[in-house]
Amino acid sequence: MAARLAALALVALLAMLAGLLVGGVPLPLATVLAALAHPHALGDAGTIVWAIRLPRVCVAATVGASLAISGALLQGMLRNPIVDPYLTGVSAGAAAAIAICVVLGVTLALLPAIGFAAGIATALVVAALARRGTGIDVNRLILAGISLSALFSAVIAIVLTRAQASGYASAILSWLAGSMAGRGWHELAFALPYALGGLLLALLAVPALNALRLGDTRAAAIGVDVDRAQWTILAAASLLTASAVSLSGMVGFVGLIVPHIARRVVGSDARRLIAASVLLGTALTVLADAAARTLFAPAELPVGVLLAFIGVPAFLYLYLRGGRQFA
Amino acid sequence: MIQARELRVRAGTRTLLEGVTFDVREREFVAVLGPNGAGKTTLLRAIAGTGHFEGGTLRVGGRPVESLGANERARTIAYMASDDAFAENMCVRDVVAMGRYSFHRWWQWHEDPRDREAVDAALRAVGMELFADRAFPTLSTGERQRIWLALGLAQEAPLLLLDEPTSHLDIRVGHEILELLRHRVAAGKTVVCALHDLNEAAAYADRIMLLGCGRMLAFDPPERLLRSPLLEDAYGIPMEAVAAPSGILRVFPRVTNRRSRCSS
Repeated sequence: MAARLAALALVALLAMLAGLLVGGVPLPLATVLAALAHPHALGDAGTIVWAIRLPRVCVAATVGASLAISGALLQGMLRNPIVDPYLTGVSAGAAAAIAICVVLGVTLALLPAIGFAAGIATALVVAALARRGTGIDVNRLILAGISLSALFSAVIAIVLTRAQASGYASAILSWLAGSMAGRGWHELAFALPYALGGLLLALLAVPALNALRLGDTRAAAIGVDVDRAQWTILAAASLLTASAVSLSGMVGFVGLIVPHIARRVVGSDARRLIAASVLLGTALTVLADAAARTLFAPAELPVGVLLAFIGVPAFLYLYLRGGRQFA
Repeated sequence: MIQARELRVRAGTRTLLEGVTFDVREREFVAVLGPNGAGKTTLLRAIAGTGHFEGGTLRVGGRPVESLGANERARTIAYMASDDAFAENMCVRDVVAMGRYSFHRWWQWHEDPRDREAVDAALRAVGMELFADRAFPTLSTGERQRIWLALGLAQEAPLLLLDEPTSHLDIRVGHEILELLRHRVAAGKTVVCALHDLNEAAAYADRIMLLGCGRMLAFDPPERLLRSPLLEDAYGIPMEAVAAPSGILRVFPRVTNRRSRCSS
């Protein structure tokens, strides 16, 4: 298993390197490595690597890793393989708030923060609706997440029909489709602390997440404070998802597929599953973003669209072919 | 080991248990009997501290059960619920190792030699040490029941609570499970076990608690309880008890509308 994790780490590293290599200006490997080694050296290569590509790769890695952990946490807690991070309501709430703010003419620089705040606010509403007694009712959580997401989709649709006249529609759509175009160190500096906070909570929940594989009743019997574990996991998933959404808008399928693949590779033990999800989420998203930047250069494809095109067939292939072992 | 006084459990307006008072001694094997819905699972859950109770007091090992923290509870009471789901993607040893959860602080992600010893001992005690690396979902129902028992043993708790551990098992495997429990009692554990089979209870339990409609009707040694008219009251059918050649009392429903033997 350690060998498999090491292999995944290598894949993630190579994906990040590939992300640095491709782009508008062709840079050979040696130049990229030299620029990486000397951050303060001047020159075009240094600027391209340090100001454009590296932040972009780091953003993609943060988004991919956050969504993948979030998906792994929620699938584990709900013992439901078709759950994804957007169940928390975070993305729908963020998207609706962003759409409204775009139409109102709020400056673009504020959008990540607004998206983050609205996402967390929606997650709190979903959590409040899912609360029963001191714990979380998983069915209520799923229902609340889906209902609120549907409600906010309707809000977005209304805003979009209004925005078409004023020409804001494309800004909203690029957010909805998920894109990391133009994101850099500044956005990362905003989102990363929350993502790390989410990761810390996720790590705290690892032993309980493992125990929850036995079901809530048995987990409680062996000494898990199930209520506390559920709240910790939901808080971690919401923070991670909100960080990702504030960076990239709605990037789909990473949070759904990556935990599945990770489970295939390293099994269901949360200690390894979280690590594998981080590595695979990073690799997949960085590669997808690199492809999104270069396939139709100089035009950029929204990375969310690209991931859906790769992700859906891959997911169906895995699911239908995997059949029985897929749980 | 357990002291219950005037225990009352409600769910909404329904009363699930009322006025239940009893003591269970250390190293005693108690079978809890009663028809479906009598409150067996409710009682076990209350003792396990995973259920709630509205009135009365309940002490386990001298401490009020509601005052035990989650970890402390798991090290005092090993509760083996009757639900049998989940644990996909886990091997047998990983399932049993979960019994060590309460011994770990939050930063301890890996088992130490003491854990390994306890898990091995638990697997040996249920005769499943050769199954350690098997995938849990590939086990038969009886094998799973043994593994759930091993999970409880790995908790190293003095009190074992089991909810119908012999349901869905064939006669032999059912008796093997109860024999294992009897061995654990000989090794110093206290066992409280909900059962459906009166004769299993009669053969293995020191005392039988009879529940009916949320009340404790009797709490007596098998030889007294199985001859008691309370048994017929609880189940609502006539019973007859006979002594088997081995000396153990056996009880059966009295069949009145008997199938004729010559009616081909």
